[in-house]
Formats: sequence, structure tokens, C-alpha cells
Amino acid sequence: MRIARNAAATLFCAVWLFPVYWMVNTAFKPYGDILSATPRFLPFPFTVANFADAIGKPGFLHDLGNSVLVTGAVVVVAIVVAFLAATALTRFRFPGRRGFLIAVLVVQMVPVPALVIPLFLSLKSVHLLDTFLGLGLTYVALVLPFTIWTLRGFLQGIPVELEEAAMVDGAGRGTVIRRILLPLVLPGIIATSVFAFITAWNDFLFAYVIMKDQSGYTLPVWLVSFSTSTGTDYGGLIAASTLFALPVVVFFALVQRRLVEGMTAGAVKG
Amino acid sequence: MTPVAGAEPPPRRRRRPLLPYGLLAPAAAVLALVLGYPLARLVVISVQDYGLRSLFTGTVGWAGLANYLAVLGSPDLGPVLARSIGFCAALMVGTLVIGLAVALLMGRLGRRMRAAVMFALIAAWAIPNVASTLVWQWLFQPVYGVLNWLLSRVGVLGDLTQHDWTTSAFSAFALVWLLVVWQSVPFVALTLHAGLTQIPRSYYEAAAIDGAGPVRVFATITLPFLRPVLGLVTILSVIWDFTVFNQIWILTQGGPSGQTTTLGIWTFTTAFSKNSFGQGGAIAVVSVLLLLAMTAVYVRRLVRSGETL
Repeated sequence: MRIARNAAATLFCAVWLFPVYWMVNTAFKPYGDILSATPRFLPFPFTVANFADAIGKPGFLHDLGNSVLVTGAVVVVAIVVAFLAATALTRFRFPGRRGFLIAVLVVQMVPVPALVIPLFLSLKSVHLLDTFLGLGLTYVALVLPFTIWTLRGFLQGIPVELEEAAMVDGAGRGTVIRRILLPLVLPGIIATSVFAFITAWNDFLFAYVIMKDQSGYTLPVWLVSFSTSTGTDYGGLIAASTLFALPVVVFFALVQRRLVEGMTAGAVKG
Repeated sequence: MTPVAGAEPPPRRRRRPLLPYGLLAPAAAVLALVLGYPLARLVVISVQDYGLRSLFTGTVGWAGLANYLAVLGSPDLGPVLARSIGFCAALMVGTLVIGLAVALLMGRLGRRMRAAVMFALIAAWAIPNVASTLVWQWLFQPVYGVLNWLLSRVGVLGDLTQHDWTTSAFSAFALVWLLVVWQSVPFVALTLHAGLTQIPRSYYEAAAIDGAGPVRVFATITLPFLRPVLGLVTILSVIWDFTVFNQIWILTQGGPSGQTTTLGIWTFTTAFSKNSFGQGGAIAVVSVLLLLAMTAVYVRRLVRSGETL
């Protein structure tokens, strides 16, 4: 039985890792080895020419900058806004609290592609098409239901007595949030920022529709337009995809333990 | 666990009754303006004559139910609906079956093997959607695609080295299916694994003493405990699988000759290629309603459990 289980796990790993391996393998292969009818399974001889090629392509660095700017802003804004909301929802009891929670749950059910048309037209009428503000606001709204919900779960787990004790000792509400709540809720903040980061970094559809001007392209849009216009430079394209995936992989690797912890905490509450 | 539930709230919380609203205001504003308003506007657009001209002049006429009649009367509707639902079901079943199998497997592996599976899941999950779609294109590329080469070597399907997977509807869907399942299994497997680790070991020990077989243990202990988490990943899978867009758009653009056009693609091309935002809006409203119908039981349960939120 043990052998069968290990064999199944090995097979799963092989199948699931193969595309990743093939991406990295292709990215490091010389041009002639990429386009060969018999594939080479190891990147020897080895080259970084594809990466240089990708970075040298018009727009890559510029659009990378756009992605970093938008994603960074979205993560910060979404976390702050969600943290404030989650604090209100867990530390106060007020009329409308339940209604808000249900609204957050239901909004999560809305299929994202259905929002593309009205968002496009709404942003157009307030002159926010082709602006980072318009794109950033869209992403913040997309991640808010989930981030509020997750942070609320984490805040619920922190005993309110800790804050009350500090307030008895004369600390103001601001101090309590900064010195007590924030450090305790940090794992939750990390888990939710991963989600916000990935949503903004990976989005193609909204960036494609909202940022019509080439100067506003983010990396996903650059990648796709690059693949169709030049067509066949797979070396550069795959190297660019690898570079694009790298920050997410690093981020995931760094927070992996926290992420799985966060999912476990979330799973209990169903 | 709600700390302020039950008893009379302490007096100092009464002194500033506006504070919670202030804390909630930014979130409420963004949600209302960027999700709520567009949703309402979607319904309005769907009964308007919103086309290319309105985009430039800003004047829009009312269309009444004309957009809906056009959509419902379109010969494309039937095939698109069947395709969307069938594809969603195929994706959902594939993701859940593989995800649950991997989650169950993870619980029975040694430390190292489990770490390896976890690594494979996180790696596949972390590769951004667009990047993995482009890698997929490359894996199955005619002439140079490594998987075409491997499949030809195995030989069951004949020589596939020249095969272009996007030229027939069936193989194009197979291509997208493999990609989406590959991408969505990690979330499902990790969530279910997290759920499984919450089941107290003592239940299994008691079952072992009573001599229960693996099927019985699964049906009477694992499944009931896992049900809320299973419900959550099922509903999320339905929503995501029903609205898959990037992968289809990048790989096939809905082709060949519209044969991989799902509701999402149809909405998009009607609005942005044919510049008929009204009709696109009508299709989007129909898909929202369809999705609501599919998730109604779950939403109802959520709203009802809202009483104890």
C-alpha cells in the first residue's frame, strides 16, 4: 500500500511539475534547441539570451513597472480598507452589520466577466478609462469581499479582552489597534495580501479592456499582445513568462507556511 | 466567538456610535461604486440600445426587451448554453475528483512525499494564469510542442507531431480543460487537505477499534466533517469554471468558427467586437441569473446562516 501511495504521489508530482519544468527548460535553451523537432529535455548548452531578449523587447520593462505600481497600490489599499472594515465588523455591534456581511457574501458570487461591460462604460463616463486609478479601483473592489471575509475570521480569533485590558490601562483606540491588534493579525494580513497580490498581478481581462493605450499596458497584456504580433519567438516569450511568474513564485515560497495555516483556519469556519 | 455578542454592550462603545460606520465607509464605498453600481447598470444597459454610436455621442435610446429577444432568438444561444454548462460540469468534476484524491493521498504520505506534493501544488498555483496559458500553447504547439512529441512516441493516438489542437472543437476544449484543471486542483486540494487535518484523530481510532473498513470510515467520518469545506470549494469551482475566460480567449478566441464560444466569450465578443453593449449586457444578465440559479441553494443557506453571523 505504501509503495502504491508513493507511486501515485510521484506520478502526480511529475505531471503537475512538468509544465513548470518545461517553461524553465525552454527559457534557458538556445534558439536552435527550442525549435527542434526532437525536444531536448535538459537546457544544455545553457543560455540566458532569451531573458536578455525578453527584457530588451520594447515595452517589457515599462509594462513591468506598470504592473508593480498597480499591484503594490492595490495590495496596500485593499489591506487597509479591509482591515478597517473587519475591525468594525468584529469589534462593534451596530444596525446594518448583518446586512453588510450578507452583501459581502453575495457580491462574491457575481461572475467577474459580467462586470466587464458596465465597468468599462462607467469608467468611461467618469473619464477613468486608461488610468491606473480606474484599474486599481477595479482590483480593490474585486479583492475586497474575500479580504474582508478572511481578515474578519482572523480578528474573531483574537480575544477582545486584550484590547480592553490595554484600554483600562489608558491606551487610546489608535494605540490599541497599532500595538495589539495589528501584530496579532499579521498572519491574516499576509494571507490576504497574497490573494490581493495575485489577483492584481495576474489579471488580464480588466487590464485588456480598461487600459487601451499601450503606455498603460500591464505585463499580462504585454505578454499576450507580444505572442500574437510576433508569433513565433517562443524563447523570448517563455523567458518573459518565467520572469513574470518569478515574483509570485518567490512570494508564495516566502509565505507558504502562513498561507496553508491561513487556509486551515479558514477551513474550520467553512 | 463574537466578543460583543449577547450581553449588554459596554457603555464606552455607545459613546461613539458612528465609529463603526466610519471604519466601514471606505469598503462600503468601493464595493457600492465598483461592484454594486456596475451590476445595476448592467441591468439597465441590457434594456438599452447601447452601441458604437452611443459610445461617442453619449445618447442612448431604450431598447425594451429587444436585446433579450435577440439573444433568446439567436441560433447561437442553444449551443453556447449547452457548451458553457457542459464545459463547467466537466471542469468541476475533474477538479473536485482529482483535488479530493490528492487531498486524501496527502494525509497518508510520509513527510517528504507530502512536502513534494505540496511543492508541486504551490508551483502550479503560483504560475500566473496568462503565463501558464502561454506555456500550454507552447507545450501543445504543432511541430515543436513537447507533449505532441511525447504522445506520438506513446503512439496510442497516432502521429500527433503536426497536430494543431485548436482546429477542432473537441480537442480545443480538451486543451483548455487540461489547463484549467491543472490550475485549479491546487486550491481545491490544499483547502480540502486543510479541512481533513481538522478532523480529530480520535474518531479514526474509535472507528479502527470498531473494525470499520475504509469505505465506511470515509462515509461516516471523513465526508460529514468535510462537508462544509467541500461545499465551499464546489461552489467556488462552479463560479470559476462557469466564467473561465482568459484560457479560452488566449488559446482559441472562441474558435474554430465559434465552436468554443462559451457565455463569457459570447458576452465579450458581442460587446467589444460587434460593439453591441446592450446585447452583450443581456447575455451577461442571463449568465448571472443562470449562475444564481445554480448556486441558489448555497446562497440561501449562507443568507440563513447570516442570522448567527
